[in-house]
Amino acid sequence: MRWTVVVANLPYLLEGLQGTVLLGLLVMALGTVLGFAVGLARLGRGLVYAAATAFVELFRDTPLIMQIFFIFFGLPAVGIRLNAFVAASVAMTFFAAANTAEIVRGAIQSLPRGQWEAARSLGLSSLQTLRWVILPQALRRTLPPLMGLFTTLLKDTSLAAIVNVFELTTAGRRVVERTLASFEIWLVVAALYFLLCYPLSVATQRLERRLVAEVP
Amino acid sequence: MPGPAQFWVDALPALLRGALLTLQVSALAIALAAAVGVGVAAARTAPLPPLRWLGAAYVEVFRNTPLLVQIFFVFFGLPRVGLRLSPFQSGLLALSLYTAAYNAEVFRAGLEAVPRGLREAAAALGLSGWQRFRHVVLPVAARISLPALGNNFVALVKNSSLVSAIGMVELTFVARDLEAWTFRSFEVYGMATLLYLALVLLLVWALRNVESRALAYLRVGER
Repeated sequence: MRWTVVVANLPYLLEGLQGTVLLGLLVMALGTVLGFAVGLARLGRGLVYAAATAFVELFRDTPLIMQIFFIFFGLPAVGIRLNAFVAASVAMTFFAAANTAEIVRGAIQSLPRGQWEAARSLGLSSLQTLRWVILPQALRRTLPPLMGLFTTLLKDTSLAAIVNVFELTTAGRRVVERTLASFEIWLVVAALYFLLCYPLSVATQRLERRLVAEVP
Repeated sequence: MPGPAQFWVDALPALLRGALLTLQVSALAIALAAAVGVGVAAARTAPLPPLRWLGAAYVEVFRNTPLLVQIFFVFFGLPRVGLRLSPFQSGLLALSLYTAAYNAEVFRAGLEAVPRGLREAAAALGLSGWQRFRHVVLPVAARISLPALGNNFVALVKNSSLVSAIGMVELTFVARDLEAWTFRSFEVYGMATLLYLALVLLLVWALRNVESRALAYLRVGER
């Protein structure tokens, strides 16, 4: 074992970690916004519902890596050329949005029907009901699964390494190629991901317990 | 460059062969991950605290690090300590261990959801500890776990695509290879994506059948 290699390359790995955090935050933000829109669209009917459902199924039932390949390597064939970072971000945003949409839909549908009926009997329109009655209650329920999704996304940013976006896994691979210290470097890379994800997991579990305790 | 029809005649068998290997590694990993998951869940609910800590550490480590890094660690890292595995073995091992952590949590929740009264009733009937577990707790816990377990299996099939990164010639690898040879990226990745979709939908359908059979007793009142 050559642990001095790890010490010498730690600054470079931390630079990669920065890339991971940046990509993760970007995808979480964009994916959440788009996911809420798609999730609400799935409550609609007709074409809106069909389009939203197709989007959700396509991006949830296929591997993220295929989506990245399709957007990075496939779309240039029809004239859309994106650089690796943008392609990976777009693919991951769609992936995040499809999963967020299911969380949002699940949370809204988990509320008793009586909530809708009571709001209607008070004379609120559908939109008003959504805005003032349903969403305030549903939002709280989306929080734990949404944070769970964030942990998944943070781990999945590692897939961007396959199209050579600079983040932690890419940094790790480059150091391994240079130093051949594969065991040490991959262990440390894993540990860095763990330091990033574990606190998020613990916070998710705490929040879950608190919400379960509050909701009768 | 061959015409479109000829291209599909050449490409489809290769993609299907890749899909077959995806199916094989997924099926093996599903079985392994279920077995290891039961073991870890048992450790997590064991009466001995050190066992519980070990089980919890296993779950947290494997769930809070990326699968891709785990695959790289097994394939590139372990040979440095004398353990050299083929791409297939490395992929199978990493996929199984990773999914086992998620399975263990599902099993644990299933075990904890078995009503206390059932165990007490079984004890009152004079069943031994093992008999209570084997004939009362396990059948109920397994049924409670089934839907969430199915989700983990679907995720596993999708995650098996990562094994292409260390050179296992499954569906994703074949797609990359074909693309490198033919430059028909749009068609190749589109087709591979559809094949994954077909695999996943097939699995979902199969799981739904198993579920509806295993949970048939819940619908007695509806008939």
